Amino acid sequence: MTAAATNGVPAPANPDRRLRIIIGVLCLIGIGVAGYLTYTHYEGIKVLCLSSGGCETVQSSVYSKVAGLPVAVLGLAGYVGILITLAIRNDFGRVAGFGLALIGFLFSLYLTYREIFTIKAICQWCVSSAVLMTILTILTAIRVLRAESDVPAAPPARHSSTRAERRRIERRQAARR
Amino acid sequence: MASRTKQKEEARARRLAEEQARAERARRQQRIYMLGGVVLIAIVVVVAGIIISTSGGSKPALQTGTKATATGNAVNQLLTGIPQTGPVLGNPNAQVTMTYYGDLKCPVCQEFTLQGGFSQLVSSDVRAGKVKISYAAFCTATCNGPDPNEFPLQQAAALAAGEQNKFWQFAELFYHEQGSEEDAYVTESYLDGLARQIPGLNFSQWKSARSNPNLTAEVTSQQNTGRQIGVSGTPTLIFRGPKGQAVPSSAVPTYAQLEQAIKQVS
Repeated sequence: MTAAATNGVPAPANPDRRLRIIIGVLCLIGIGVAGYLTYTHYEGIKVLCLSSGGCETVQSSVYSKVAGLPVAVLGLAGYVGILITLAIRNDFGRVAGFGLALIGFLFSLYLTYREIFTIKAICQWCVSSAVLMTILTILTAIRVLRAESDVPAAPPARHSSTRAERRRIERRQAARR
Repeated sequence: MASRTKQKEEARARRLAEEQARAERARRQQRIYMLGGVVLIAIVVVVAGIIISTSGGSKPALQTGTKATATGNAVNQLLTGIPQTGPVLGNPNAQVTMTYYGDLKCPVCQEFTLQGGFSQLVSSDVRAGKVKISYAAFCTATCNGPDPNEFPLQQAAALAAGEQNKFWQFAELFYHEQGSEEDAYVTESYLDGLARQIPGLNFSQWKSARSNPNLTAEVTSQQNTGRQIGVSGTPTLIFRGPKGQAVPSSAVPTYAQLEQAIKQVS
């Protein structure tokens, strides 16, 4: 049942809900990309690559691991982490989501720099993950900054202090979420 | 009276609005502080990750003492009794040839040579005379590293050992004692150290062979051939036999995968 149906009046579209859906979809795509790279790493399979061997060169470089852990695994953990934060509907969840996305974005930035200037090879999978992380950073930041406007204004004291009125407001808020 | 009540209500509404605005400001400020804190934490985490990823791989290259003896014994055990001609290991008339495009500084080549199916391939199929392995130089890790000029130096040093039919002893020792691809460790003393570990290698003959420009030209030629046939990474293994050609799909093929490729071409 929609908010509009509950209240009998058209409810404004919930921007946070929309953002959460977009972030969730992007995370799922990211999980697909990082999951594939993790699978090929541990199975020892050559990565499907559009450019001539760029992915293989990048994957076999020293920059493909952090403390012995493939960066694909770290990316996978990052996307899963951001997805989990969507379920935490408070400031902590929003800020944690932004923090994870920002770490992913900064590390992607460093890896892209290494790809262009040190390894001199481009891996499309890595680039797509970097693009996803960039968009996720922007969206999670918007989610944090917009949070305050999503918070419903406190009901005017006295005038809405009856139990029935409070319940009606609570129902409306729940429907909006 | 009514206007007095109205005034009171208006004042209360103003007060409430001010309180709400104050709360909103405080909330916004708190959120900005939180964002600032998260940005700082993220920067610290990423910088730490970068430091770990760039410094963790360093390890001493040349082995000494009992470790060097153990490595020497393992290499001898693998190769003794198998014929060698330059970079070719095995019976020259073997039905199947595996061309191994490699870079001596490449860690994935090291993984394949020391932990993948390579050793078993040598000890069974190559030793039995069914397969021969021809090594061809292809620059990957060295060219991505701090000094790409190391590549012709190290590959020509292996070819110089090959002139005494000890190419594979040199290559095996190199992989066993490989340093980090991030370090420019392929120095004259490193190469000399490896050569001195090869039993039966005439060191001065090897040293003078290294100055032969034909060896460097050979390295370049192998690299160009690799590029022409579409080699893009190392190790790339190309099996050729009476039934054609096969390339294992795995980056570090197991012995079973190598066997499958051999069956396909023989």
